[in-house]
Amino acid sequence: MTGKSKYSYYVEGTALEVEDRPRKFLQAFAAVLEHSSYSLPLEVYTRLGAKCSRCAAACQLYEATQDPQDIPCHRSERLLRIYRRYFTKTGTLAARFLGKGFTLTDEYLDEMADAFYRCTACRRCKLTCPMGIDHGLITHLARWLLAEIEIVPKALQVAVRAQLEGVGNTSAIPVPALIDTCEFLEEEFRDIYEVDVKFPIDVEGAEYVFFPAVSDFLMEADTLMGNAAVMQLTGGSWTIGTGNFDGINYGLFYSDRMMERIVRNVVSEVERLKAKKVLVGECGHATRSAWFIPTFCGKEAPEVVNCLQYAWQQIESGNLPLKEGVKIEERTTYHDPCNIARVGRITEEPREILKRICSDYVEMTPNRTENYCCGGGGGTVSIDEIRAFRTGPLGQRKAEQIRATGAKYVVSPCANCKKQLRELCEDNGLDDVEVVGVHDLLLRVVDLKRDVPEVENREAAEEAEQKLYVPASVGAAAKQDLKISDDEE
Amino acid sequence: MESLLHFARGPGFLFAFAFMVLGLLRHLFLMIWQIARTYIRAGDKSLPYSAIAISSLEWMFPIRKLRDQPVFSLTSIIFHLAVIIVPVFLLGHIELWQRGIGLAWPGISNSLADVLTVVAIVTGLALLLQRITARATRSLSRFQDYALPLLITIPFATGYLMMHPAINPFPYTLTFLTHLVSANLLFILVPLTKLSHMALLPGSQLVSELGWHWPRDAGSRVAASLGKEGAPV
Repeated sequence: MTGKSKYSYYVEGTALEVEDRPRKFLQAFAAVLEHSSYSLPLEVYTRLGAKCSRCAAACQLYEATQDPQDIPCHRSERLLRIYRRYFTKTGTLAARFLGKGFTLTDEYLDEMADAFYRCTACRRCKLTCPMGIDHGLITHLARWLLAEIEIVPKALQVAVRAQLEGVGNTSAIPVPALIDTCEFLEEEFRDIYEVDVKFPIDVEGAEYVFFPAVSDFLMEADTLMGNAAVMQLTGGSWTIGTGNFDGINYGLFYSDRMMERIVRNVVSEVERLKAKKVLVGECGHATRSAWFIPTFCGKEAPEVVNCLQYAWQQIESGNLPLKEGVKIEERTTYHDPCNIARVGRITEEPREILKRICSDYVEMTPNRTENYCCGGGGGTVSIDEIRAFRTGPLGQRKAEQIRATGAKYVVSPCANCKKQLRELCEDNGLDDVEVVGVHDLLLRVVDLKRDVPEVENREAAEEAEQKLYVPASVGAAAKQDLKISDDEE
Repeated sequence: MESLLHFARGPGFLFAFAFMVLGLLRHLFLMIWQIARTYIRAGDKSLPYSAIAISSLEWMFPIRKLRDQPVFSLTSIIFHLAVIIVPVFLLGHIELWQRGIGLAWPGISNSLADVLTVVAIVTGLALLLQRITARATRSLSRFQDYALPLLITIPFATGYLMMHPAINPFPYTLTFLTHLVSANLLFILVPLTKLSHMALLPGSQLVSELGWHWPRDAGSRVAASLGKEGAPV
């Protein structure tokens, strides 16, 4: 049973049966304050908040709806109010002696449930807050607390369940299907480009273990082929691990508990393969989640490299051969995924690549750290039932930005942004726009025919492919599939 | 009236000013203590120090922030400059400090102080007006957001009148008393209201960054304390 009656999104049926929610919410709040780092910002924010509303001007949602409920500061106040009343001395004393202050109710929680999923946690407003209040952090925390009383969009919960308790990844792709896909992509290379490009599987001792958004295996063949081409042409030592090949981490969107488990699984896979680094595919939130590896696994944990950083470094050092005189002629623009761009960590690499390979590259404004969210951030893109909201008020600003560039290609190195941008273009009459990844375009211009440096571990890769590894985390369904394919052999 | 005045400029002032200083020190101490605690517990201790330093400085001296909402930003910046400069650098105030604690520092001329006082009043009221007229701020505002700018204009207005007895329609003592009482009240309110940002602002960018630096096993500990270890997703 699913319940949508209450919220703008579906939740699990069991969520509607949870009793005594205010008490449980406060209990979870207390536990989180004790064990995590949120009490510091909450304590400071409750004292600082100046209610100046500068954040209102930064928020694309408020810009569209003009509803005071959508002002970042207003939304954050919903949680700060609970903190002030139940977790500060002034709040508890005032409640005891003056009978003042509010009481947390079911209705209040239901309002929060809607409010905190209208925010994509893009953190654009953080840049404009004179007091340095990070409303994205508040949204992040509020969603976790709500999840502890089972208020989670079903789409997110189901994906995390598949990843942690099911097949092992959010798209529920069994290992044999993954291997089939990789073989199919290798065939594509042979058929279309007449070259032999490998998707090395389970190669022990590789330098990089590749973690794309797993949905790329279903939907973004060109991105993955671009990734493989870059790795092969540059002689990169990389592998896809059958124990875990999903960079997606929806824990970032609703629960630090889940996030911690998913991040640890990534690191275990790198350790299992005796590899050194995590190579994240074209995915914003997967990259940001991977940047939390030192948080959950200490500083000895594997280094994290995004494929854009890798590709640009290789191009810059002249290691990646590009076809002479071949460029992407159509007008191209770049959308910054918030999760990698907001703090300025990855903004230049993709631009440098695009400027190198496109003859008509244009910027949308504002961009880089000040970009507008695609409208599908914070996991909202996975919630199909709110599409009209995402491509309407939430994404309207982005659609205008894209229209203003007049670009044919909107490039975004993020699985979530791409899905949202496609829906956005579809729903906003941008029919001629094509949404692609950086590596999709790279694939068209790299010189695949040039003498490719021999991959060091190609033999090992082929050997490993013969022996199929079945990880412990693979669920029953996958094992079943595997058995069938074994029988067939 | 005289004894009230005597109280307000003596023990009243001492109490209020000490309340402000100690209150702000307490906020500051608590913030630093919590920053240290959060940092020590954090799983990832690498912080983008230069980015934090830059954004902290940018907001303490927000010249570069003028381009968004220029009218509001400019009003706010001028207001802040005026309300900081006048009380601290007014020659009359410095003289009082010198008499009281023997410390003095260079001041501004009385004519500049006059101008800045008027600026403080005008910008303070303008900020209030912007708050009332803008839909977004109106929906956010609490009582203190309306009351503080009004209250802040009082010591400035009365200070101005004291400096210009010729145009002061009120008795001098009453003006003086109002000046003292409103200023003392403000001192007391500083640590209790959003005015505490005068001590907390420099640390707020670091605080926001540290909010994302969780202890290594925060998630599992929360699960354990809620009895949700091993619970299905």
